[in-house]
Amino acid sequence: MTDTAAAPPEVTTARKSRLHLALRKPGFLVGATIIGMSILFAVMPGIFAPYDPNFIDYTAVRQAPSWEHPFGTDMLGRDSLSRVIHAYTVNMQMAVLATVFALTIGVTVGALVGYYRGVADMIFGRVVDAIITFPFLVLVIAVVAVLGPGLINMYIAITVVGWVYYARLMRAEVIAQMGNDYASAGIVMGYSDRRIIFRHLLPNAITPVVVYWMTDMALAILLGSSLGYLGLGAQPPQAEWGVLIAEGRNFITTAWWLSLMPGIAIVLTGLGFSLIGDGLADLLRPRG
Amino acid sequence: MKRNLTAATLMLAMAVGTPSFGQERGGTMNFARYDGSRLIDPIYADRNPDIWMVGSLFDTLLRSSDDGKSIVGGLADSFTVSDDGRTVTLNLQADLKFADGSSLDAEDVLFSLDRARNPDLGPWAGMLGNVADVTADGNTITLSLSQPDPTILSMLATFNTAIVNKDVFDAAEGATDQEKSAAIFAAGGAGVGSGSFYLCGFEQGASMDFCANEHHWEMGADGKPLPYLDKVHFEIIPDDATRILKLQAGEVDAVEFVPFSRVAELDADPQINMNLYPSTRIIYSPINARETRADGSANPLHDVRVRQAINYATNKEALIGLILQGAGQPMRAPLMSSSTRLAADMDLYPFDMEKAKALIEDAGFEAGTTITLTTLAGSADDATIFAALQQMWAPLGIDLVVEQVDGATRGAKNRSGEFDIHTYGWVDDVNDPSQVTGWLGYTPVRHAVGTGWESARFNELFEASGSEMDQAKRAEQYAEMQEIYAEAAPLLFMYETPFAVAVSTAIDGYVQTPLGANIFSRATVSR
Amino acid sequence: MAGLQYILKRLALMIPTFLLVMIIIFLLVRMLPGDPALAIAGDKASDADLAAIRNRLGLNEPLLVQFWLFFTNVLQGDLGRSILMRTSVMGVIIERLPTTVFLAAFAVSLSLLIAGPLAFVAALNRGRWPDTVIRTVFQVGLSMPVFYIGLILLTFLAAHLRWFPVGGHGDGFTGQLYYLFLPSMTVALYTSAIIMRNLRAAIIEVLDAEYVQFARAKGLPNRLILGRHVLRNALISTVTLLGLSIGNLMSGTLVTETVFAVPGLGRLMLEAIFARDYPLIQGLTLTFAVLVSIVFLLTDLFQSLLDPRMRLS
Repeated sequence: MTDTAAAPPEVTTARKSRLHLALRKPGFLVGATIIGMSILFAVMPGIFAPYDPNFIDYTAVRQAPSWEHPFGTDMLGRDSLSRVIHAYTVNMQMAVLATVFALTIGVTVGALVGYYRGVADMIFGRVVDAIITFPFLVLVIAVVAVLGPGLINMYIAITVVGWVYYARLMRAEVIAQMGNDYASAGIVMGYSDRRIIFRHLLPNAITPVVVYWMTDMALAILLGSSLGYLGLGAQPPQAEWGVLIAEGRNFITTAWWLSLMPGIAIVLTGLGFSLIGDGLADLLRPRG
Repeated sequence: MKRNLTAATLMLAMAVGTPSFGQERGGTMNFARYDGSRLIDPIYADRNPDIWMVGSLFDTLLRSSDDGKSIVGGLADSFTVSDDGRTVTLNLQADLKFADGSSLDAEDVLFSLDRARNPDLGPWAGMLGNVADVTADGNTITLSLSQPDPTILSMLATFNTAIVNKDVFDAAEGATDQEKSAAIFAAGGAGVGSGSFYLCGFEQGASMDFCANEHHWEMGADGKPLPYLDKVHFEIIPDDATRILKLQAGEVDAVEFVPFSRVAELDADPQINMNLYPSTRIIYSPINARETRADGSANPLHDVRVRQAINYATNKEALIGLILQGAGQPMRAPLMSSSTRLAADMDLYPFDMEKAKALIEDAGFEAGTTITLTTLAGSADDATIFAALQQMWAPLGIDLVVEQVDGATRGAKNRSGEFDIHTYGWVDDVNDPSQVTGWLGYTPVRHAVGTGWESARFNELFEASGSEMDQAKRAEQYAEMQEIYAEAAPLLFMYETPFAVAVSTAIDGYVQTPLGANIFSRATVSR
Repeated sequence: MAGLQYILKRLALMIPTFLLVMIIIFLLVRMLPGDPALAIAGDKASDADLAAIRNRLGLNEPLLVQFWLFFTNVLQGDLGRSILMRTSVMGVIIERLPTTVFLAAFAVSLSLLIAGPLAFVAALNRGRWPDTVIRTVFQVGLSMPVFYIGLILLTFLAAHLRWFPVGGHGDGFTGQLYYLFLPSMTVALYTSAIIMRNLRAAIIEVLDAEYVQFARAKGLPNRLILGRHVLRNALISTVTLLGLSIGNLMSGTLVTETVFAVPGLGRLMLEAIFARDYPLIQGLTLTFAVLVSIVFLLTDLFQSLLDPRMRLS
């Protein structure tokens, strides 16, 4: 995919100066701020949420936004703002845990088969094709149905399917990098495979993977929300944005705030990840 | 109430004002369904979207009266049960026709009833298990029973005994009856049934059309055959919110299964009549009453006092407020909806936290014990039930956790006993309480809906009532069964809900019966 | 000639893929709790009824026997009978396939129409406000769950403004265009966001590349550079991405078809899973696999056409 000319084998020094550059970019800064706040909400939601997110008040159901309840209350009289904030814990966890294992496995497998090719690559090709030809959601739904609903099983299901995308991307990048002079130079100079893979190929090939990872984290939140909507993700009474939106769906004309607020939270977080991704793309992109 | 009064006044005004009764005729009613029919055949209909449409295409020999309390004539205009309860004699109306104009006679009745009671064919044959023989002499049909059966007339008014055309089945392609039935349904057309409509269009999973049967025997107010409509067009819209938007946009005339959270909003719309039809639908949760759980650990719910305690600790009125927005009532008869014949009227476990706490203490229940509520994934109602019960039962020291599964998994768990408590619901298929009573309490049917609860006395009463022709005695048996059941509490008794159907004001006369059947024969449309 | 050989080789490689898909789905559906007998007979059926149905469906046979039957039937082009629909799986799929293909193709076309021009605008204005606005708007589209955005479109464009019908499907090409616009748009909002991001990055990459800088320095007109280098590279990367996301696109139709009441394969798949309709799930999965494989093959051919260096991969 990349059309760039031979990239330099050592990139560390160039990177530092670019970090300053990235930090001065408004987009990256905004993204970092959003995600920083999100992490803060996720780690200590109790500090920011005004009420217990699971406290039911039969006498105050579906109240419109007010000073007392800035996002209104839901059909059980629970404070919507508190539920949206507490949902950060599970949704941010989703973003990380649903992708990080897929990333690790995918990068490792992709780099290895891309470097060694041969029989392993053939088998890899078939497995990838088989998994990719499945509709993603169907496979995840089926795996969750077999393992039972719940977040951990959902992460397993998403990882089982998701690693393939990283592996494909990584393999393609490694193969592209292999075509470059420095890689062949490394082989000629008799460097060990490990040194070539990890010191030379990986750092140069990882950029699109990391950028994809940022997008994937946003997608993981979305996928987790879809599964939550189907009842296969986060389990009640745990607040989760997808579940909150699904709950509010039926009240879209009468109590619009129920679905709008978690909707804004999803969009903001997605925006944050994507801005960071763009910033990283600039930061990591090898330049001549 | 007010609406009914207005309608009656209007009808009166019309009757007085016009010399010949002016009945609106013709037109198409567009109806949005939550799920589509797959095969509408009296004996193979096994899902509600099929069962509830059988009556529109196929007539039965007898019918339930409008109030559901008695049996009246249908294709048969008179019927008698012998004193010993072993013989039923029916007289078929003269000159009956199928929708294509071919004649409906005793031969078709014999064929249809033989199909209906053949255990190798449909799933409902067991309901006619007491029928030993059916014979015909001219228009007189005689059923001989192996033992007296108080439900037999109800069965002859139930969808599975509806009459089909023997000639059409004889001529249909297919090696087995089921293949023939599928072929007939796929081809559509007027020949097979004698209901007020016939199937004249079908797109799997998308749409379906019923056209008026001009040969129907039942007459409308204007002295011409029912139905008044030319056609009913069905569209399948599985998503609740989309279905309602379709009505609000004026693209359909009626929408079934309106979520109760939307009822008030639709009721306020002047273009829409928000109907809550009384139903036999009950929402309850079976409690695993076995000594041990499926994994072998001790089951705290085996203790009847714990089961009673959670019933007392459940504030049904609050649940009804949260989930049904008030459109429902707590279960009052333990084994059935209170609109069913022979239903008891009890104050079934009124909300009483003190009593609940006393019972739970008496039972020596260990505080902090985890109990799992299995719910239907993706169901907003179930999620609300869980959240509410978790809070309601917390004072008892119950740590309620949830397990969300799909319908098939829940069904499998119910059978294998791998659950503590799970949400469930029921609608009667037969206008007689025996079906639901067998389902909920009689061990041989389904181990008391999978709870594993068993009472020898209950089983004995149920068996005895199966051939009890004395109505008073049968009522006594049912009263005792309900007392036993209420005391043992194998269920979390929850609530009864109506069928919520939103209908455009352009439509008049559509009803859904307490058994769920959609009745279009007297519906009219005026645009 | 080399091209033909390549295609034949690719087709040969599909055989083990399909075999793997068949094995995975066969085992996966049988691991699901509950079984089709329960779905057929319903909760009200007795245990004996269920056992009889299981027997009739051949579910009591050893797994290997069941798989062999499935495998040999597929080889003969027979996908079995749907338990849910009571007709042949092939028939149901053929009936519904055009709608889903139409929806997917419509969505892809809309995505390209939306994302293509805007990606160029964003890339050429990199870092300035048009870039920021375009990317933010697309990010919103990318972050909205389908079941939510679909409902919003339905509520405002269909129910209130009456510009479009509320769900369902039309007859003929124009009917389908009219009925499937909103569902396609819903899918397209998501797909176009991904395409836009990728395309923008690809264009920027080319613009920054040495040979383009060189061409610029040599004084080649911008239009020519865009046309010759940028467009070609942008096309390659977009086609690659579209090919890759075809699986996601199919997943997207699952929920979209439910929300918009479109009788397509996606909704059928959900119903089949919930009803444990083994033959239908297997048949649909194979259909998806074939569709996706065809798209992959076309993607590769297209790529090698545009970029001769890719031919060997």
